[in-house]
Amino acid sequence: MESKHNRYILAGLTVVCIALIGITMVTDQWLEPLRTGVGYVLIPIQSGVNKVGVTIYEQLSDYGKLKGAVEENRRLQEEIDRLIEENNRLSSEQFELQRLRELYALDQQYMQYQKTAARVIANDSGDWFQVFRVNKGSADGIQVGNNVLAGGGLAGIVTDVGAHYATVRSIIDDSSRVSAMALQSGDTCMVGGDLTLYKEGRLSISDIKKDGDVKDGDRIVTSNISTTYLPGILIGYAADITVDSNQLTSSGYLVPVAEFNNLQEVLIITDLKEIQDPAGGEP
Amino acid sequence: MKRTAINLLLIIVAFTIQNCVFPLIPFLSASPNLLLILTFSFGFMKGQRAGMFYGVLAGILLDLFYSGPFGFYTLFYVYVGYVNGICTKYYYEEYITLPLVLSVFNELAYNLYVYVFRFLIRGRLNVLYYLKELVIPETIFTVVTTLLIYRLLLYIGRWLTEFENRRDTTIV
Repeated sequence: MESKHNRYILAGLTVVCIALIGITMVTDQWLEPLRTGVGYVLIPIQSGVNKVGVTIYEQLSDYGKLKGAVEENRRLQEEIDRLIEENNRLSSEQFELQRLRELYALDQQYMQYQKTAARVIANDSGDWFQVFRVNKGSADGIQVGNNVLAGGGLAGIVTDVGAHYATVRSIIDDSSRVSAMALQSGDTCMVGGDLTLYKEGRLSISDIKKDGDVKDGDRIVTSNISTTYLPGILIGYAADITVDSNQLTSSGYLVPVAEFNNLQEVLIITDLKEIQDPAGGEP
Repeated sequence: MKRTAINLLLIIVAFTIQNCVFPLIPFLSASPNLLLILTFSFGFMKGQRAGMFYGVLAGILLDLFYSGPFGFYTLFYVYVGYVNGICTKYYYEEYITLPLVLSVFNELAYNLYVYVFRFLIRGRLNVLYYLKELVIPETIFTVVTTLLIYRLLLYIGRWLTEFENRRDTTIV
């Protein structure tokens, strides 16, 4: 009798889950209150545990780093001298650039986005997905689709938001697709995460037109035609570009600028790309 | 009632550790799936209904964390609770072999589930790579951790029983 009841419960739960999967594949707007509600309980716990963990980890690693620090300090001093010199040279060129820009009436289109800093409080521990959670949410102006930067490059995109947290899918996640272009030639391409490349610290680049001029070491930035990513954000550098066997496109690898192994702070761009195409090719 | 509360707490703690502590440990190339261990242990120790109950809880936590279709994890964890609950008739306290075997099967089933529904349907066919790099390390870690967690659960259970007995006697 007992086991029969259990079977009914199992069947009921199965139906509910499958129905939920079906519904949320189309829209999951209605889940937001639930996510936010649970977030009120979980986020303080996650933040607290994260803070304790980070503190302990930093103290341990600080001690280890101290030994290497003296040598590094000497090296950095040399670097600073070199950079000061370079900076002097560059700043004179900057004035020239400024003048020329005004001449062309080009406004600085890039890097003028509104940004907010956030701390990573939880990562996915399993290896299948690369998603993480940050401690800012809709209360701080973050929306689904906001771009996330780390270490000077694109790191991911916000996939859902609660009042005080947001979940971010990294560009190294297997299902991530970013429409991109080579900065120099303007050729468009697709930058995709791939689980089999992730351990080498690479992403894949595909769909470069065969006559496109993308060389190893080219800077790859988000493209103008992307529906979800703001244009001109540096993603990384191209590597090992070869022509595909179909002789129509080339593909290769991308070395990302952002460091994904130990993400702790990220910048979230709170501007959304204005042309939101609901039928956009990339999620 | 008290047991349920403690088990609930355990699930939340496991979820937090899994997401906030393990990723910080740099030399851990793979990490054990604590929620899976808890769910199947509860199913195995307490029967199908309890297994399903804790399965739903663990699944909902995971579904809230990921932004895929809601219910993906819940569905799997409910089944973990149910199927492992069938073995509850073989359960007695000092018997550690069966839980370890179950842990291997659960872990393999979990990874197969994720692979088929999230990777295979997108045409990722590199099964051997995933098996070598992800599934086997994670399974090993999970089995080792099962040894510890299962003991911990037994210990908590025994402690609670003792606690309840003592309270009964003082009332009487």
